[in-house]
Amino acid sequence: MGRTYVADDTVQKYLSSLHTAGGVCITGLLIGQLSLQRDYVLLSTKTPHRDSDGPGEGHSSSGLLDDADLEWATEHAKQVSQMLPGGMSVLGVFLIVPPELSKEAPSTLRRLVFAIEKHISKGRLWDLTEEDITERVTLQICSKTKKALCRSFDIKDPKSSAKPADWKYQPVSSSSWPLVTCTVALDLQISLPLKSLDDICIKEGLRSWANRIKAAVCLINGKLVADESELVPGQKKNPKMGKQKFQVQVLLQTLEDMGSSAVTQCCRSFISIRGAVHCRAYLQPNKPRAKHAVEAIRKDLMNTVSCRVNMLMEDLLMNEFNDQGVMTGVQPLPHRVFVALPASDFRLCDYVFPDESIADVAERLHEMLDSRVTEESIDSSLEPTHAKTPMSSRTADPIQHSRASKQHIEAPKDIKKSNMQQYYTGDFYIPLLIYIYIYIYIYINRTVVI
Amino acid sequence: MVLVDDGAMILRLGGGLEFLCQLDVSDASQRQLEVSRSFADLRSRVKAESLVFSLTDSALFIWPNKSFQASLDDVDESTACGELLQSEDDDGGGKKKKKDKKSPVVNLRFMMEITEPTEPSAPCLYRENKKHHCIRMVLPMDCVVTVRSDETFGSSCKRLLRALSTQLSEMEAVTLRHMKDTDVPVPRPFHFSLPTSTELVTIVYPASVDDKGLESFRKELHNRFELPDDRPYFRRSNAFHFPDEPYKDGYLRNPHNHLNHPNIEGAKPYLVQGVYSYHHYMQDRMDDNGWGCAYRSLQTICSWFRQQGYMERTVPTHKEIQQALVDVGDKPAAFVGSRQWIGSIEVQAVLSHLLGVTSKILFVSQGSELPSQGRELANHFLTEGTPVMIGGGVLAHTILGVAWSETSGQIRFLILDPHYTGGEDLQTITDKGWCGWKGPEFWDQNAYYNLCLPQRPKAI
Repeated sequence: MGRTYVADDTVQKYLSSLHTAGGVCITGLLIGQLSLQRDYVLLSTKTPHRDSDGPGEGHSSSGLLDDADLEWATEHAKQVSQMLPGGMSVLGVFLIVPPELSKEAPSTLRRLVFAIEKHISKGRLWDLTEEDITERVTLQICSKTKKALCRSFDIKDPKSSAKPADWKYQPVSSSSWPLVTCTVALDLQISLPLKSLDDICIKEGLRSWANRIKAAVCLINGKLVADESELVPGQKKNPKMGKQKFQVQVLLQTLEDMGSSAVTQCCRSFISIRGAVHCRAYLQPNKPRAKHAVEAIRKDLMNTVSCRVNMLMEDLLMNEFNDQGVMTGVQPLPHRVFVALPASDFRLCDYVFPDESIADVAERLHEMLDSRVTEESIDSSLEPTHAKTPMSSRTADPIQHSRASKQHIEAPKDIKKSNMQQYYTGDFYIPLLIYIYIYIYIYINRTVVI
Repeated sequence: MVLVDDGAMILRLGGGLEFLCQLDVSDASQRQLEVSRSFADLRSRVKAESLVFSLTDSALFIWPNKSFQASLDDVDESTACGELLQSEDDDGGGKKKKKDKKSPVVNLRFMMEITEPTEPSAPCLYRENKKHHCIRMVLPMDCVVTVRSDETFGSSCKRLLRALSTQLSEMEAVTLRHMKDTDVPVPRPFHFSLPTSTELVTIVYPASVDDKGLESFRKELHNRFELPDDRPYFRRSNAFHFPDEPYKDGYLRNPHNHLNHPNIEGAKPYLVQGVYSYHHYMQDRMDDNGWGCAYRSLQTICSWFRQQGYMERTVPTHKEIQQALVDVGDKPAAFVGSRQWIGSIEVQAVLSHLLGVTSKILFVSQGSELPSQGRELANHFLTEGTPVMIGGGVLAHTILGVAWSETSGQIRFLILDPHYTGGEDLQTITDKGWCGWKGPEFWDQNAYYNLCLPQRPKAI
């Protein structure tokens, strides 16, 4: 029995709006929620254009996905998956092909869906379990007849073959999807032993924090709810009922006994990650159970932390090449903002470095999700903010600003890098003074006798 | 061990707190300050609103520092502690645990909530590149308060919080006292039941220091609690055994506690003091059926010395007993691995060699004369309180006590029989008399008997 994919009407509208010129294919992502009975496709977005150095524009004109295209598409998928709240994920891919290339389409789709899954799961702090659904969808659309062929693959089995699946369009009312939220205070301490590598230690530190999150007790609306019990018992599908909201509290279990002696390590460095992050997850409306809510929030929490730390680390690494020495002191982690796409209640998110603006977010959303949002619709109030660096120094150099934006579109890997380059040339001294002040403040407190 | 009167309960709070400390590589004088600072940080953490108590096997979670927020609607500050015993049973599965009628124990664990921070700040990564020693350990917190069942849960939680804070301070003192450079022993709490106190007393010991090294500390404790200095109360093995904790080794403890005293007019019971384990044939996958009875009796006696804190090593095996006799020159080397019997004299020799314990030997020329040793045995159980090994008439047994009348001379012997070959089934052992009260006719009236009466060492 194949899977059933229920796609929202907006997805249908979007897919039919995509036109291909000549023998060019269009790839893109299908985003939504996986659940036991059926999967919901809530959003779709095409892979952005890539300004290739060689001849031809966008995707390779031969229609086949070459390695560069594949890498581009998987990177796009990763960036998009970081913009999704809990409960939502990249479910699969679509491919719009002209009829003459439809023979190669299935194998291309297969390559694409496996590569995307592999790239998205790199650096993730959790692994797929027995409970998770491992089927991913591929949708092949003929550009001429508009006929769609839907198949699914089990990405856990590298030898799996395509299974036929049902694809149907249906309005999906986002208001009936329960929302689960929480704000979590982070407190990670990572010691870097003498002969160790930064990124391995940080990864280890994040992993052991993630293990505590996986073992933590989660209360829903202040109570301990059994895994299998329904979140909203006896609910009749009543669209008039307001959006169900659930607040999760995460309680960390205490640590296991360690033995008779403390562990002493000679270390060269110490990292501490502190602050509050906001987590959000949506649950499909058909009898969601407590365990789904808990899993969705747990995953969102682990994703948002690993994503931000990786972003910052990449950023700092790039700056180490420009600047001498390893950065010390306080580094702000990117701030999470939420925005609802037009014609939908679901809020997606994005990460903003302190020197970036809301306009940058809007640009990124347009590029990644092929969607126009107004700056007013971007909500940055759900998380406490850093003190913003003054805007004046940026507007004083509009050429650099627009250049940074352009670089931004060109190469997804360097999305943050270009902004950061500007950060160090333009706004170096004020943050440096702040960091020195904070460092002195902490140093003084450490030597005061209590 | 029964604590206070009826209506008393024990609330026990446990959990592991992470202790993290960065010590300067070069400046040793700052190290103690750093450790103190880390402990101070932990003390403030247990005062935070994010501290949560959870009742084991239940859906009850309490925020004691946040005006007593509870996850169950029917529990609040004024709930009586006695009602918590019912909460523990209701875990949805309907599994009713048989609660120990004597001093029931309510187990709580503490947790930390990481959601709903009171002063949320923007997420940051702070990095310091300084060479340092990173010390990490998990502090095994274990606090106990004795409460009346009608005392409010709110006030008991306040007491537990104070106990938690005090324990952290005690752990700090122990850590500072016993740390060497960057070598830090884990401070571990033990609870002791004392004759001079109605509540359990909690003492923190450094895990890396053995009982011998802590002797002077124990002397101070004996003084503080006005205890005699000839018997141990504060060794690790003297620690209070909570009724709800099963013994990990699987041996039965004090099966005689489940027996009724014999009904003889004018006879008073004089019993073994403290805790012993029942050792008998076929245990530990050792088939000693027919020859090992004296060995098993000796093992029972050794288990008594271990659990009263006089012996740290494990109860010796048959081979170790035989080797000890070879070592003292009592037996030839071929003795080890054989199935040869031993008697009271050998038991005395082993106790002396392996444990440093002296024993009195009593000789009785005829079994019928045993009742005349009533006064001697009663005195022994009164002053020494150790189990007695008796051998004679091709059999060895353990005497755990006597019921003796000074006026009529009537006597019954509480016997623990090592010839039992079955499993650790208390019901069978007591019903079939493997542990039971026997009259003078139990002994072979014509055989001669030797009794080994181990003496308590005068030590703390």
